[in-house]
Amino acid sequence: MALMANALAVERASLRYGKFQALKDVTFSASQGQLITLLGPSGCGKTTLLKAIAGFMPLDSGRIDIFGRDMQGVPPEKRDTAMCFQSYALFPHLSVADNIGFGLRQRRLSAAEIATRVSSVAEQVGLSLQLQKLPGQLSGGQQQRVALARAMAVRPGVMLFDEPLSNLDAKLRDHVRMEIRALQREHGFTAVYVTHDQSEALAMSDLVIVMRAGVIEQMGRPEEIYRHPVNRFVADFIGTANIMPVRILSRDQARGEYHVTCPLGQAVIRSATPPVGDHLYACWRPEDTVVATDSGNDNRFTFKVSARTFLGSLCDLSVSPTEDASVCYRIQTHGSTPVSEGQTVDVVIPPDTIRFLDEAIA
Amino acid sequence: MTINNALKAYLLLIPGLLPIVAFMSLVVGMAVSQSIGFFNFAGDDHFSLLFWQQMLTQDQFWRVFFYSARIAVVSAVLSVMLAYPVALWLRRPFPGSDLISAMIKAPILVHGLVAAFLFVNFISFQGFLNVALVHLGLIARPIRMQNDPYGIGVVVLQVWKNMPFAFLIIVGSVRAIGDDILDAARDLGAGRLARLRRVILPLTLRSLQASLILIFIGTAGDYSFQAVAGPININSMSQFMLRIQMDNAAHGWNEAAVVAVMLMVLSLFGSLAVAGLMQFAVRRAGR
Repeated sequence: MALMANALAVERASLRYGKFQALKDVTFSASQGQLITLLGPSGCGKTTLLKAIAGFMPLDSGRIDIFGRDMQGVPPEKRDTAMCFQSYALFPHLSVADNIGFGLRQRRLSAAEIATRVSSVAEQVGLSLQLQKLPGQLSGGQQQRVALARAMAVRPGVMLFDEPLSNLDAKLRDHVRMEIRALQREHGFTAVYVTHDQSEALAMSDLVIVMRAGVIEQMGRPEEIYRHPVNRFVADFIGTANIMPVRILSRDQARGEYHVTCPLGQAVIRSATPPVGDHLYACWRPEDTVVATDSGNDNRFTFKVSARTFLGSLCDLSVSPTEDASVCYRIQTHGSTPVSEGQTVDVVIPPDTIRFLDEAIA
Repeated sequence: MTINNALKAYLLLIPGLLPIVAFMSLVVGMAVSQSIGFFNFAGDDHFSLLFWQQMLTQDQFWRVFFYSARIAVVSAVLSVMLAYPVALWLRRPFPGSDLISAMIKAPILVHGLVAAFLFVNFISFQGFLNVALVHLGLIARPIRMQNDPYGIGVVVLQVWKNMPFAFLIIVGSVRAIGDDILDAARDLGAGRLARLRRVILPLTLRSLQASLILIFIGTAGDYSFQAVAGPININSMSQFMLRIQMDNAAHGWNEAAVVAVMLMVLSLFGSLAVAGLMQFAVRRAGR
């Protein structure tokens, strides 16, 4: 039976390289026009999954549907996908125009149609003046655009990006990232984007899939993933998180308020979702903290500053509770906050910014 | 690169380039000079186009010339045609691929003359091949294959000896094509044949041309294979050159020099023509 008619549907996809389990029961779907990011550390299976979608790696079990059609046994050249490779994989012997038109020639379009479409796509990615050049004569950013244009020219149903910005410098990366997102929205193609850069994933995606060891750890909108990580891995991988074990002392489920004990002392956590168990992990983000200016706040703790890093508008502090120097947390304050190393500082962690993780302590 | 750096680069090239250029100029200069009457070992030195006239008006010379050209073209093309698919097959390593690769290169270790004698023994009237064919009942009595009039034996030997060289040159360029490039072509809809025509062949064209040129030049100037396994009724250019030098005491060196110059002309233009035709064919296939 075909899966739901999503643009892309992956169901219980599993794949092994010998004894190494590269993918295990991966299931997700993408609707038309969505940009999904596969995010995770190196070796987590994200590129393998992308290659399985493209058809370069057959699954051991599970299935992949593209626009409702089972891709089992369908070779890459027959799939409605186009891939932007990490290495760009441009044809070095062909000009930019021929590179962009390569897929169109395979589809046996007329010469006039190819010329029109090549020039239109080249204009969109700002390559109109480079059409007669060979890839070797272009900069890294321009080559990346050729790879993007080449994939876009065939108007695929699903576009696959394999860390396409990893070879670009930071400034260019931001620029091309915005371009890709703008083009994706303009053309409305479905995209699966592989990256290990969490800021890239948060900035671009409609849906983020966090992977580890071939398994999906969490899937959700960027804000959801950032604000409500389900476990220590996701909390730590996405942004910076202070993770601590907590034991629940009392529950007021009507108000969603929980009194806990943690390495900082006693704290209050406000959560709409009741935690599972009494002994579990919780996390809070460095930027959620507030340097206390008056007395009487909940969750007010005194820390000793062990390191201070000035980041312009922000100041990143490494702090430890005054009673226990072995535990270290990170907090962020305004760049102009007058705090120096060795000083103690009173910090408030608002109760509704501390999240319980779905990960009980045995 | 600054002018100083360019100058340094050229200066560094001199120790390598100078002997090559010097020896080449010496040999070519000697051959051309002798062909027009200078360095005359049996008479006065004076400019003369007589030796050229004598050679170029001989039917036998042109039969020899075109025979050598034909053997060179066929051997070069066949060697490359056989080496190319094997190189493609061995592009990605697999269990046993190193062994196969080593076996393909084995003929390099066998001297050409040894191979020629072994081959002649193998195909001789009472050799292994005839005996086997008779035993198998495929032929009633031995057939004469040795020194065949078409030079097929020479071609077989040339291909056997030169295919490993072609393989060595081609396999490097085939392996240099990244998997991503081929995956990209596939992803854009190119099937097996389209990938070969539009990606692999153009990216390996230089190695194909290099193989063709090297094999063509080597084969055009062959002496040993021709002497052992070649036709009796026709010579190769090298054989012919030696023969007229020995047969003609008066102007043997001068006439042989004409043949030598023509051999160089054949090597240069023949190999360029073969390489050019290959480029034309690859570009046409890629359209």
